[in-house]
Amino acid sequence: MVAVIPGGVLVATQTTSQPATLAQKRRFSMSRTERKNLLMAMIFISPWIIGFLAFLAYPIWYTLDLSFTNYGGFGEPVRIGLDNYRRMWDDNLFWTSLWNTFYYTALAVPIGAVVAMVLALAMNQPLPEIPIYRAILFLPSVLPLFAISFIFLTLLDPNQGIVNEFLRKFGLNPPNWFGDPAYAKIGIVMIAQFGAGQVALIFLAGLKGIPQHLYEAAMLDGAGVWSRFRNVTLPLMTPVILYDIILGVSQGLQVFTQSYIITQGGPANATNFFVFYLYSNAFRYGGQMGYASALAVILFIITFIIAGLVFITSNKWVHYDLS
Amino acid sequence: MSMRMNRRNLVKGTAAAAGATALASSAFHVPNIIARQSKAPVLLWTASTADSLEAQQRIVDEFNAQSEDVEVTLEQIPPGEVTDSAKLITAVRGGTGPDVYFLDRFIVAERAANGLLQDLTQLLEDNGADPSLSDHIGFAAAEATYDGKPYALPFDTDVRALYYNRTLLTEAGVDLEQFDAANGPMTWDALKEAAFAANVDNESGDNFAQMGYVPYYNQAWHYTYGFSWGADFFDEEACEVTPNTPEMIAAMQWVYDFCAELDPAKVQAFIQAAMRPGAPPQESPWVQNRLATMITGDWQIASNRNYAPDMDYGITYIPVPEEGMDSQSWAGGWSMVIPQGAKEPEAAIKFMLFACGEPGQRIYTEDTAHIPTLLALQEDTSLFDERHMFFVQELLPGTNNRPPLPVGAKYWDELTAAFQRIYLNEEEPEAALTTAKDNTMTLLGPFCPIG
Repeated sequence: MVAVIPGGVLVATQTTSQPATLAQKRRFSMSRTERKNLLMAMIFISPWIIGFLAFLAYPIWYTLDLSFTNYGGFGEPVRIGLDNYRRMWDDNLFWTSLWNTFYYTALAVPIGAVVAMVLALAMNQPLPEIPIYRAILFLPSVLPLFAISFIFLTLLDPNQGIVNEFLRKFGLNPPNWFGDPAYAKIGIVMIAQFGAGQVALIFLAGLKGIPQHLYEAAMLDGAGVWSRFRNVTLPLMTPVILYDIILGVSQGLQVFTQSYIITQGGPANATNFFVFYLYSNAFRYGGQMGYASALAVILFIITFIIAGLVFITSNKWVHYDLS
Repeated sequence: MSMRMNRRNLVKGTAAAAGATALASSAFHVPNIIARQSKAPVLLWTASTADSLEAQQRIVDEFNAQSEDVEVTLEQIPPGEVTDSAKLITAVRGGTGPDVYFLDRFIVAERAANGLLQDLTQLLEDNGADPSLSDHIGFAAAEATYDGKPYALPFDTDVRALYYNRTLLTEAGVDLEQFDAANGPMTWDALKEAAFAANVDNESGDNFAQMGYVPYYNQAWHYTYGFSWGADFFDEEACEVTPNTPEMIAAMQWVYDFCAELDPAKVQAFIQAAMRPGAPPQESPWVQNRLATMITGDWQIASNRNYAPDMDYGITYIPVPEEGMDSQSWAGGWSMVIPQGAKEPEAAIKFMLFACGEPGQRIYTEDTAHIPTLLALQEDTSLFDERHMFFVQELLPGTNNRPPLPVGAKYWDELTAAFQRIYLNEEEPEAALTTAKDNTMTLLGPFCPIG
C-alpha cells in the first residue's frame, strides 16, 4: 500500500512485492501538462545543452583520452598508458612553464583585485558626471587582449615607450620590460590590469548592495574613511572578492595571448607560460598532441585544486550576511 | 491617363528594374562564370609579407593567365614564428585547409613525419616530373624528402653573408679594406673591434642610438655561428642532436662575451622592436642607417633596393674564428607542400610545378633576389647582378644546411631559447646548450634510427 505525503511524493507504508519499483514509477510519473512543460523547457535550453556537450563535455573527454596516447593530430593515436604523465617529471620546460604561470597568477590576481576595487570605488562616487567617468574607466576593458598587447608593446618600448620616458623624468633607470627575463612577466601582469574594468563592474554592484545605514552608523561611531572601508566595505565585499579570486586564478593559469603576441615565450623562456608550452607541443612540435593533452589535464587538475583550496579557506574570511 | 506612383507601383517597378539588371548582368557574365567554373580552384596560403608576397602574387597571376584548367587564389595568413603551423593544422583537421602551403623547408621532415603532408610521388609521376627532385640543388631536395619520398617542392634558397654600411663604418674611422671580399673573410674579433667603434649612444646615454653589429639580429642565428666554428648539429650514427660540442660552445662564448662587454640589456633594448615577427622592413635599424653591419641573406639586395636605395653598402664573407679558416655560410629556403585533406591535389601539383619550376623561380629571383633551387636556373647568369652573383658563385657551392630532422622545429626552438639565455648573459653557453640537447632528445628518441 502506498500513501501520498505532502509534496506529492509517494512512499510505501507497508511491505509489498515490489515496493521500491512501484514508488519509483509513481515518483517519476508526470501529468500531461508536466510532460509538455518539461519538453518545452528542454527545447528552450537545448542550445546550451548541445553547446555544452559538443564544445565542452566531448572535448574534455577527448582530451583525457588523448592524454594516454602518442598522437600527432593525424592518423591513429597509439596508446602509451601513463607515459605522457611520466615524461613531465623529467621535462625541464614543464617545470619552467609551471613556475612562470604560478608567478604570473600570484601577482596578477591580487593586484587585479586591488586595481578593480580602486576603480569600483572611483565609479561609486556620488558625482553628477559619474556615468562619464564610469565609461572612461571601463573603456580599456572592451579592447580585445591582442589589441592591448600591441598597445603595450608601444607603451613599454625601451627606447620610445611613454612609460620609460616617464620613469626617466624622475631620474630612474627604466627596465627593458619585455626584453629582460626579470621584468617580462611583470610587464604582462601590467597588461592584465587593462581588463580590470570587467571585475570593477562586479565590485561596483557589490558596493551598491551595501546598506547605507551601516556607513551612517559607523560615522556616528566616529569611523573615518579608512576605518569605514576596512570594517564595513571590505568585509561585505568578501563574497564578490572570492568570486573574483576563483575566476582570476582560473584565467591567470590560462594566460597565453600576451605571451604569444609580444614575447613568443621569451626572452629565455621567461614568459613560456603553461598554456603557451601546451600550444607549442600541440602545434609547433610534430607528434606531440598526446603530450599537449596530458598537459591540459594537469592544468585542469591544478586549477581545480587551487580553486578548491581558495573555496575551503573562504570560510575564514568571507562574510555572507550582515549579522 | 496619368500613372499614379503609389507604394505598390514603386515596389513593382523596383523589382522589375532589379530583375532586368540581374538578367542583363548575368547574360554578360555567363561566359566568365562558365570559364571560371571549368577551372579547378586551388587555394594557396602564404605567411610572406612585403616584396616576397608581391612576387608570389605575380607568379599566381602569370599561372592563372596561362592555365586553362586551374585557377589559383593566393591568401595571406598572419605571419608568425616559422615553426608555428597552428593555423594549417587546425584548418586541415577542420576540413578547410588550403590546397598548397608555403612551408619553411627545414620543417618539412617534421610535418611529413606527423602525417600532415601528402606524399607527392604519384602526383609528380602523373605529371611527368622526377620524384627524386634531381633537378634541384642537392640539399634542397634532401630537405624536401622524408623517408625516401618527396613531400615538398623546393621553391627558393638563400645564403647568408655579412653586409656592411660603408658610410657608417667610414664615419667611425674603420678601415674598409678588411671588409672587402677580395681580401677574404675577416675574423670575428676584427668584426667586433670595427663594430664597437661604430657604436653611438643616444642623448641620455642609457641606450644605443646606433650600433656596429648586433650578434643575434636577422640571420645571425645559433646555426650561423655553429657552422662558422665548424660545429656539427646532428650525429646520425648515434642518432642524437649535438648542440653542445666544443666548437658550438666556443661559438656561443664569442656571442656571450660580445654582449657582456656592451651590456646585454642595452643591446637588447636597441634591437628588440625590429625582432618582432612580421616587423616591417622599414623598422630595421639597417634600413634606418643605424646599424653598420649585419648578417643576412641574399634577399636583402632586393630589400635595400626598395627601402634604402641610396645606401652605400657592401657584401662580404661571414667572418671566421681564426685567420686562414674557410668562411662558412648556410642555406635555407621555402617549399610548397600539399596538406592532407586538400580538395584539388591534382590541380595543386600543376601550379606547384609552375611556381617551383623555371617560370615561377625565375620571377621570384628577379623580384626578390633569392636564389633558385633549380640547377638550370642557377647557371643563368642573366638572372643575377654582381652582388647577387657573389652569393650564387662564391657562397652557394660550399654552403651548409640545417639537418632535416623529424624534430627540426623543436630543435630550432630549443637552440633559440638557449641562444637567448646566452646573449642575455642569463646562462653560460655550455649549460644552456646542454639543456637544449636534453630537451630535444626527449622527442627525438622515438624516431631513431634516422637515415
